[in-house]
Amino acid sequence: MSDGTAKIKTTVNGRQVEAVVPVRMLLVDFLRDHLQLTGTHVGCTFEGVCGACTVHLDGEAVKSCMLLAAQVCGREVLTVEGLARDDELHPLQKAFQDAHALQCGYCTPGILMNMSDFLKRNPEPSENEIRLALVGNICRCTGYSHIVEAVQNAAGTMKVAAGRSL
Amino acid sequence: MRNEKFAWIGKKAVRKEDVRLMSGRGQYFADMQLPGVLHCFIVRSMRAHAKIVSIDRAAAKQSAGVVAVFTGDDIKDHLDPLPHPIVVPNLPGKFPKHWPLAVGKVKFHGEPVAVIVATDRYLAEDAGELVEVVYEDLPYVGSPEVSSRPDATLIHEDLDNNEIFSMSFTGGFTEDSVKANVDEIEAIINSAPVVISRKFKTHRVGVTPLETRGVMAKWDRDDGLTCWATTQRPHIDRLALAEVLNIPTHMVRVIAPRDQGGGFGTKAPFYRESILIPWLAKTLGRPVRWLESREESLMVVGQERDQRHEMTIAADKEGKILGMRARVVADNGDGCMGVYWGFVMPVLGAATLPSGYYLPKCDIQLRSYVTNKPSLSPSRSFGSYPGRFVIERLVDILAKEVGKEPVEIRRINLVSSLPHVTATGCHLDSGDYLKAFNSLVATVDLAAFREKQTALRRQGRYIGLGFGTGVEISGIASDVFVQLENQPGYGSATIRIDARGRVQVLEGDAPQGTSHETTFSQVVAENFGIHIADVVVQTGDTANTPFGSGSLGARGGSYTVSAVHNACRTLRDKMARIFIFDRKLDLHVGDIQFEDGFVFPALDPKNRIPFAELADRIVMKPVNMPPGEEAGLEATSYFEAAKPMFYFGAHACMVEVFPKTGEFEITRYVTCEDAGTVINPLVVEGQIQGGVVQGLSNAMFEEFLYDEHGQQLTTTLEAYKLAIAPDVPHVEVTHSFTPCPHTPLGSRGIGEGIPGPVPGALTNALCDALAPFDIEINELPVRSDKIWRMLREKGADIGKPEKGSKQPELQNA
Repeated sequence: MSDGTAKIKTTVNGRQVEAVVPVRMLLVDFLRDHLQLTGTHVGCTFEGVCGACTVHLDGEAVKSCMLLAAQVCGREVLTVEGLARDDELHPLQKAFQDAHALQCGYCTPGILMNMSDFLKRNPEPSENEIRLALVGNICRCTGYSHIVEAVQNAAGTMKVAAGRSL
Repeated sequence: MRNEKFAWIGKKAVRKEDVRLMSGRGQYFADMQLPGVLHCFIVRSMRAHAKIVSIDRAAAKQSAGVVAVFTGDDIKDHLDPLPHPIVVPNLPGKFPKHWPLAVGKVKFHGEPVAVIVATDRYLAEDAGELVEVVYEDLPYVGSPEVSSRPDATLIHEDLDNNEIFSMSFTGGFTEDSVKANVDEIEAIINSAPVVISRKFKTHRVGVTPLETRGVMAKWDRDDGLTCWATTQRPHIDRLALAEVLNIPTHMVRVIAPRDQGGGFGTKAPFYRESILIPWLAKTLGRPVRWLESREESLMVVGQERDQRHEMTIAADKEGKILGMRARVVADNGDGCMGVYWGFVMPVLGAATLPSGYYLPKCDIQLRSYVTNKPSLSPSRSFGSYPGRFVIERLVDILAKEVGKEPVEIRRINLVSSLPHVTATGCHLDSGDYLKAFNSLVATVDLAAFREKQTALRRQGRYIGLGFGTGVEISGIASDVFVQLENQPGYGSATIRIDARGRVQVLEGDAPQGTSHETTFSQVVAENFGIHIADVVVQTGDTANTPFGSGSLGARGGSYTVSAVHNACRTLRDKMARIFIFDRKLDLHVGDIQFEDGFVFPALDPKNRIPFAELADRIVMKPVNMPPGEEAGLEATSYFEAAKPMFYFGAHACMVEVFPKTGEFEITRYVTCEDAGTVINPLVVEGQIQGGVVQGLSNAMFEEFLYDEHGQQLTTTLEAYKLAIAPDVPHVEVTHSFTPCPHTPLGSRGIGEGIPGPVPGALTNALCDALAPFDIEINELPVRSDKIWRMLREKGADIGKPEKGSKQPELQNA
């Protein structure tokens, strides 16, 4: 629209959303300020380095500070709030708690979103592959080891679950 | 209590914090809003040292959504400058006068110059770009070497020179006593069989958390000021705000958000913004909010460790250290930072320079000089990171000089009998340093490593093993903390049991990822025989919590948790008394047990009452009470330790260095720490792994850089590199256990000091690997290009670096 706003229609966590927002509004701000989905965090303030704002766009992990809200028109967004099914934690969430893979938790939503996408593409990753897949996420508290362990454990759980459902 | 069988203490309980944090339901500062809140953008100086000639804000004021624009000149007549007594340490330093916005001149790149208040964050930033500041440059004073010259440009007109702090830590406070100390150590050095002198440099670096800072405030003429802030010390902030804004304390409430995205010391100071935002809210009569950007954060906070050490140690032929002389110089930055003023960290670093070594005779002097950089500010391993690096390198250099294993030199110099008072007056209280160190040496199997190292060297491969150790405060007792920072050291907690037997813990400190909810709940559950799910821990709101000096210095695991325990004990005894009275038993409180949700005599378990029912009886049915017994179940404890507490940790690092490129790989990293009674092993392991990686990230990657005009070059996380997962090794955590005799549970706070031993272990490993080339690494950071250059300078015959010359990975060397 010529007034510097854009009308967007998108699906967020399975819910239809329609809104008029400034064209320059970042997706992360739209999620946080407009939809109150504050689980998506800002760490590096829009450099795309820290990964705390990672969400899924049409099933793929993306950094929501690197996109405009207007760019998700007609697409599907999944945030950390939509990762668990009803009250059942995602296997990654369960594994993160068991392995103490989070301390302050600020980076955690972004890491969960990145790793849940990664495990779809690589269901049996090695430690090294997990570490490499984490290059887009900064965690300042844990030193990463517990995160790697949790992702490996979750991969095991998900494999067993997938085996059962075959 | 520590000899009893524990139900919760020592258990790997999964954290109570986790589910909400993993589900996007954390409540961090940035998630909080108030209706009608105004947003701030702070215009910061683009110059390092300059007079402010003029500030043109006409265009900014006209910009969409702008409510107000303030500069230093606008506020200086309405707001008292710092220093104020509440944020001034009891140390012989200088405390430069400053307002939250620059007045007259700017003193570093990033100093706040003006603030835009607007209806929207985007609009505030738009307007900020329209503010035009005309500067007249002054000479940039960018190092203590320049700052200390007699003809140096004065940075603070209210100080007579640029030396902000100077003190001897071993020679007393008179000129004569200092001279006597200098002469005594000089004589020891002059007569010692072995003397080693070296210079060390540690870079400007720290532990910036992933969550930036933020402040939100609202003013109400009846209730006064309410301020939400990312802070480790809401109660200190409250007192400071009351004093600076001239509001009675009962009209100031500070709330730290329930969840904070890391602190590591950076959320402990009383910053310019801590004052500015509440002042704006009061002045404008509207709620105001400021959320720091990453760029601002890297410009201002988390910069520590910027020091030089000129060291001499004297030793006998066996390598037993006889004396040490240290001349420490700190690059203080502008020093305008409430509570810490840039030099409090170097002060603690100098005071703990002997670390865990028995150094009977020392001459330690520190000078700190103001420079045109942001003030040094606290970062985990508060003050001690540079000193631990220096002492651990010196021990290895000494080992080489006397021809012994570095392990042997540590064994003969580590404090072997505790308690011990260091030459600087630090009281090392308890533990067994040699036991912990020897346990670590056994884990890494030194003899097998040396064999492998010799064999690989014959193949042209270079592996190395290095050790680092350190003592670190586990909280600070009041008798030290009052002297250092005019603040009490006690840990405090209030415990309330409600009529349904659920327990509330109120803590005045503000955790930042430090697992207080879980560990404190475990202690409560242990005391009352209930489940941790029936405990809620609420923190950081000055309206309902007991006074605490803040979540810092590893206080939680020693002081605060002890207050939690003692308050629980008070209530448990009361419940036991009333139980005995009600049942007309001839028993003492110690005969009553609290287990699995029931209260009963230990010898008559069937004569039991549910915990919740007994709580209900005391809170809701206070009839037929024992004589003199009050109703209700609430207790507050202020725990003070009988003695100061320190914990000891030792680290071992193994590396392989590739001399053709100078690159290196950490092949194994092992720690051995003595935390006394461990409340939650998962949490302790997490603290250690994270702390080691922070130490490695500081030593290998991070560095705040300034150009020749004082422009900060590292204001993005692209330029200021933090370690990511593929950069760092897994850290193997082992424990040595000696309970702390000064806490009721035998626990010792750890966490703060973990990064300290890291640079010593790493650089000693690299030097050990490169021993055939006689390389000494006495400066941080350590990077492959530096190692490559050193090898070149030594004329090492290692060929030219070739593409792909990195050799195969060596796992678990």
